[in-house]
Amino acid sequence: MISARTVPATSPSQQRTTDSIHLMNSSLPGYHGCLLRIDLTTGVSGQVALDETLLRSTIGGSGLGVELLLRAGAAECDPLSSDASIAFVFSPLVGSPLTTSAKFAVVSKSPLTGRINDSLASSGFALAGKKTGHDALVLTGRAPRLSILVIDEGGVRLESAEAYRGLSTRETERRLRENLGSEFQTATVGLAGERQVLFATISHDGRHAGRGGSGAVLGSKNIKAIAVRGSVRPHWAEPAALVELARKFSEKSFGPATAKYRELGTASNLLTFNRLHVLPTRNFQQGSFAGAEAISPEQISVARERTRSSCMACTIGCEHLYGLQNGTGSVRLEYENLFALGPLCGIDDPEVILAASRLCDDLGLDTISAGGTIAFAMECVERGLLDEPWLKFGDGASLLRSLDLIATGDRLGQLLAQGSRRMAHAIGHDSIDFAPQVKGLEIPGYDPRGLQTMALGFAVGSRGADHNRSGAYEVDFSTAVDRCNVGPESAHLAVETEDKAALMDSLILCKFLRGVFTDFFSESAEILRLVTGWEVTANELRQTAGRIVTNKKRFNIRAGWTPDEDTLPPRMLRQALPDDPRAALSKESLGGLIRAYNLARGWSAEGWI
Amino acid sequence: MQVVVELFGIARARAGVARTTAVGDCLGDVLADLAAQFPPLAESCIAGRTLRPGFLANLGGQRFVTAPDTPLADGDTVLLLPLDAGG
Ligand code: SF4
Repeated sequence: MISARTVPATSPSQQRTTDSIHLMNSSLPGYHGCLLRIDLTTGVSGQVALDETLLRSTIGGSGLGVELLLRAGAAECDPLSSDASIAFVFSPLVGSPLTTSAKFAVVSKSPLTGRINDSLASSGFALAGKKTGHDALVLTGRAPRLSILVIDEGGVRLESAEAYRGLSTRETERRLRENLGSEFQTATVGLAGERQVLFATISHDGRHAGRGGSGAVLGSKNIKAIAVRGSVRPHWAEPAALVELARKFSEKSFGPATAKYRELGTASNLLTFNRLHVLPTRNFQQGSFAGAEAISPEQISVARERTRSSCMACTIGCEHLYGLQNGTGSVRLEYENLFALGPLCGIDDPEVILAASRLCDDLGLDTISAGGTIAFAMECVERGLLDEPWLKFGDGASLLRSLDLIATGDRLGQLLAQGSRRMAHAIGHDSIDFAPQVKGLEIPGYDPRGLQTMALGFAVGSRGADHNRSGAYEVDFSTAVDRCNVGPESAHLAVETEDKAALMDSLILCKFLRGVFTDFFSESAEILRLVTGWEVTANELRQTAGRIVTNKKRFNIRAGWTPDEDTLPPRMLRQALPDDPRAALSKESLGGLIRAYNLARGWSAEGWI
Repeated sequence: MQVVVELFGIARARAGVARTTAVGDCLGDVLADLAAQFPPLAESCIAGRTLRPGFLANLGGQRFVTAPDTPLADGDTVLLLPLDAGG
């Protein structure tokens, strides 16, 4: 159903525009009941109705996004072609008083993996985007020149982005607010997105839809930024009860379940992981790092100012920012950028790690893939496979120079910009053996050999090695299994954590809230009931979560998935961790876990649905 | 029995030390001793002879344990960790 028409350009900088958007009236609480589809090639945009059956079976966020992309035929497209779609998807909870609910999902086919990619982020973009009167914004086509896509009460228009070309994500956001007005919320790409680095991010309020290269997809569409403003709010089914429930959740979010995030931030994982020998070091060649104490948040904060911040509409506030010693501002430090730009590259200088994190933020680079790819290149140099003698483990200047090269693109930069899997194929000499990736996505900061339920989660992950779509490390950090000798009985536990993540990513709530729930599926059902009025049960939500995971698999199968890509880098299946000989996996042991997982999902033993 | 205790994350922040010693024949005894030595640690991490929700113990970096009657030997190392390892 298309309700907006194109009209001719009205000024040289305003390339295309539509009439104002005629909003559909949704009787469905929590939703607007439609998405906005924008063809960037033709400039035509229009609303498409979303029926209740679809919304109830997918909820929103990742769940809805994957289904929309399947219907758009995105699995079969080149993700950087003009035919490809990218969806910014909200959820029924966005705009509600529930803590951590100001989130959106960016869903597309990943140019890094060629598989489904759903990245989540928090910011005012979610609130303002939903207030445009849509449950999702779906972009296809390619703008004729670098543009800002503006969506507001006046309609949809493309404005020239020439003045923003090459700017950092931060500076782009600042200037956009200055030029358009502070009521606009923006999602931007940095130089990395403009250059289609395959692990470029989309940034907003300093947060990133980080993994899998959604920034490259937006860059390929010639979109430097999306700016949204709106004032349309859906109603809630039971507003008074929802406010009361939200108050209780906020209260609980100040309790012990989130103390770690509030007081220390995720970076405090570093010393724990180091002690357990699962801290990926020097491209996963070791599981502990001699310089770990020096770069721990406890140590970094001794000589630096530390401040706390939070995403929009969050009462937890896990963000810990550390001042750079050269006085040029402060940097958000999380476990993932700390490990990837620190131990993984052998770096023990906190100032370098902070500067590298800042650079990744500004360029719009996924820190895990950036660190993983550079660490891989460092090992290639060590082994004489790459003739770049300056690129060495432990050398901070090497790390910073490599990051610059990725975005500015000399020959080595172009190679690095493709991620470790493609780089290994280009280098040859069996270097794929130690490329730190699954399905092309660089592995996060958990050595799978010492966290073997997580190993399973990484291997079967629909978007590759990912700690946000599978929380299986929770199983390893428990008395339920022996983390270094996990058997097939852990498969159903891996399924359970993946299902929980799928539901959280569709509702969309922050994962750091998970400890606040006593009975996750039942309480989620109650939340959804108060927002939408649906009499949902815990059992229905379990089935929905399982269906969302299967839908991601469906997407991947259409995109060309085969069972042999559910694995880990060969070296990890051959060599135990040198610092913990118990931490060993084999092709056979991982294969047994994968078969058990597939059967627990109700798929064939090989993983076909 | 005397055991070495290593503390991480919130447990370290509350106790104010990264490493200490405690006495006891089982995990429950050691937790009770730690609670007596470090009252702020007791407030957030230890309830009597058990760990509060959100915390775990680990023996020697290998096996996670929570049961108070888990036996300990002289010289064992007990790690006190936040349960939530995610980032
Ligand atoms: S807990 Fe952290 S990541 Fe989650 S919404 Fe709050 S500030 Fe953002």
